[in-house]
Amino acid sequence: MHAVEVRQLRREFDGKRGAPPVVALDNVDLTVPAGTVLGLLGPNGAGKTTLVKILATILLPTSGTVRVLGRDVAANAADVKPLIGLVLGGDRGLYTRVSARNNLLFWAALYRIPKRQARPRCEAMLERFGLRDRADEPVERFSRGMKQRLHLARGLLHEPQLVMLDEPTVGMDPVATLEFRHVVRQLKAEGRTVLLTTHDMAEAEELCDEVSLIDRGEIKFTGSTARVGRLLSGYDRIDFAASQDDVAHRFAALPGVVGVSRRGPGTWRAEVAVNGADRADLIGWLAAQGVADLQTAAPSLEEIYLQVLDTRGMVL
Amino acid sequence: MSPGVVMAALRLGVLEARRQPSQFLIVVTAPMFSAMFMSVVLHAGSSIGRVNAVLGPGLIGLWFVALDAAADGIDRERWQGTLESLLAAPAPLTGLVIGRVVAMAIVGLVTLVESWLVAAVGFGVVLRPAHPVLLALSIAVTVFTTVSTATLLAGAFVLTRHAFMLQNSLSYPLYLLGGVLVPVTVLPGWLQPFGRIVFLSWSSDLVRDAFVAGAVAHAALRLAVVVLFGVAALVAARTVVKVVVGNVVRTGSAVRS
Repeated sequence: MHAVEVRQLRREFDGKRGAPPVVALDNVDLTVPAGTVLGLLGPNGAGKTTLVKILATILLPTSGTVRVLGRDVAANAADVKPLIGLVLGGDRGLYTRVSARNNLLFWAALYRIPKRQARPRCEAMLERFGLRDRADEPVERFSRGMKQRLHLARGLLHEPQLVMLDEPTVGMDPVATLEFRHVVRQLKAEGRTVLLTTHDMAEAEELCDEVSLIDRGEIKFTGSTARVGRLLSGYDRIDFAASQDDVAHRFAALPGVVGVSRRGPGTWRAEVAVNGADRADLIGWLAAQGVADLQTAAPSLEEIYLQVLDTRGMVL
Repeated sequence: MSPGVVMAALRLGVLEARRQPSQFLIVVTAPMFSAMFMSVVLHAGSSIGRVNAVLGPGLIGLWFVALDAAADGIDRERWQGTLESLLAAPAPLTGLVIGRVVAMAIVGLVTLVESWLVAAVGFGVVLRPAHPVLLALSIAVTVFTTVSTATLLAGAFVLTRHAFMLQNSLSYPLYLLGGVLVPVTVLPGWLQPFGRIVFLSWSSDLVRDAFVAGAVAHAALRLAVVVLFGVAALVAARTVVKVVVGNVVRTGSAVRS
């Protein structure tokens, strides 16, 4: 059984003052196998959070079907709710006047965790997320990173089978971020499915089995992180040093060079869409201009992301 | 509706109130009202007025905090960003609202005790109920119906977008028609039928009668009327909160589009 099956999903919101409806998601198809980690990447307003909210049963689809662990989110929302853990990022979403421990105890009751189990499970969560020493302080005194860890603890308290993490590392310090990544790996090892929305490409590359790129309400691509790399394997980059701008400009005009951008004083990055033989020619051309310091590399996930979304951020 | 959820929300409401002193303002102002009313009735030499002087500020306090919790209820969850997580949880939202209103109703009950103490300590007027069981039952059903009505209003306030205007405009008519300061029977004849559709008028008459010696007419029936008001409000509250939740999942907004 798949953890998430989305077919032909469309979600509209009413336009303001008689304006036409705003389409937040359109024709979305998505399958997330159980026990895997899917990264949902996209710019602000792309539709990531709307999709997460539909999966979490707090928004209805306008059309299409959405099934979570085999249950329809529209028809069987009550069956879906106990199976999912929703972690929304940011400073909001917690009861800031009460302690971390009391926040967790409250949510334990809302998820109908038996009283006997609630307290030990809350203590285990406080320990797991490094909040035990400050468990009795009001949450309003917490740093943003600590609040984020409490969000995670809250979302995992009832041991959900599908965990949805919306920008979970925003505001976390590097140590907490590393710990978070460890938590995601643990969740996967426990057989849980994780859906992670993020802007952090390194995070997606490190954690996700698959990534989906979403923009303007449409899934542009879904595949393994490695497959995303292969998708654009025709695109390589060449980093080189040239003290004269003229060399970079003339290089940008050569066939097969998509764009050249300045990385720093006298250093450049070229994006090339050519096969191996042509790339050798381009490197030869640079060498002929006296460029000795150069290296080639495969594009990072971030560059692929920009490519797929057709954002020409690297063009000179 | 799970009692565990109501209890958890009640506990949360009490814990939050402890760190928000403004929620206890009524505990400070109610004794002053008691003193004012007691001064007036003692000056007028009215014996039944003494009951009203104690009962009035107490019932006003109870209704005031319940209405305040209702106006704040769902809206607060919305602006502090907890509403989405609550909607994703299996527990019904109605249970949460009830728990929060009960937490504030406890504060409201304190004002009843305060009023009694002001009369006893400040004025030497010690009111002893002639029918203590009836008094206890009357207060219990009044709290139940106050909580149910406030829960209904919590949903209605969100739907109308005008929570605070409604909150303010609902207070004084209910104090008048609820007979909390003077019995509805002393109001002009044309106004009295309106009083009878306000549960507080039945509650306040019952509490008042509990302090008067002699048989109380139709006590059980009158208690049942207050309970009936409460049950009807609770059923309506569940429907209205469902409409609010329906609006959120359908339109992304709690208010009616």
